Amino acid sequence: MSTGGVGGVTAVSGEFRREIEAIGEIFALLETFTDGQKIDEKTAFCINLVVEELFTNMVRHNRGGGDRITVSIERQDNQLHLELVDTDVEPFDPDTVEVPAVDADIEERRPGGLGIFLVRKMVDELNYDYETEGRRMRITVTKTLEN
Amino acid sequence: MFEIKRDANGTISLHGRLDASQVNNARAELDQITESCEVDFAELSYISSAGLGLLFGTQKRLVDSGGGLTLINLSPHIREIFQIAGFDHIFEIKD
Repeated sequence: MSTGGVGGVTAVSGEFRREIEAIGEIFALLETFTDGQKIDEKTAFCINLVVEELFTNMVRHNRGGGDRITVSIERQDNQLHLELVDTDVEPFDPDTVEVPAVDADIEERRPGGLGIFLVRKMVDELNYDYETEGRRMRITVTKTLEN
Repeated sequence: MFEIKRDANGTISLHGRLDASQVNNARAELDQITESCEVDFAELSYISSAGLGLLFGTQKRLVDSGGGLTLINLSPHIREIFQIAGFDHIFEIKD
């Protein structure tokens, strides 16, 4: 884990093992950032959820990838920039995830696709890119702070 | 940290953070439910799609047998997640 910045921790980054159980360690890293930046409770909840959904997606869909997934978050003025990088993996574009039928009643509703859907609803931008060399997948997220 | 409890009246209470790493702990208790009951969110500070999916599966099973979960004391943040997910018309939600 690394941290940096003046006037509170303006950027943090860490490499985490490719396991769902690593989520607790990721939340601990994010907490150093949200506490340092005095991020409000609602936005902190949102950051946790966005990172968890993207991380668990990488763990589940990129089985056999590199041992570590890198998670970084940085503040620039009133914008938060999140980045998750996975290596030695096949491409997996979040745009290919089926959008859940949120208006459907319970008989027709299917549970899948909710994680990426929630992320898209909670952030300003979600971008994906894939480099064939190194088989490197990167997801970046931008969220504007309300205050 | 996450904990799930069931009291003598059958009310389920959720405590802490229900993330993907904790969902199997919750599943062990929710799979025991066979009839309608309340789920108290008062002490739950966080939930992600993993927890939502588990609650959805439980609700679907109960609705199919004529029952259902009633969710109480959701925080504003969690209530908003339920609304975005369209779960506010899948579950009965009470303040």
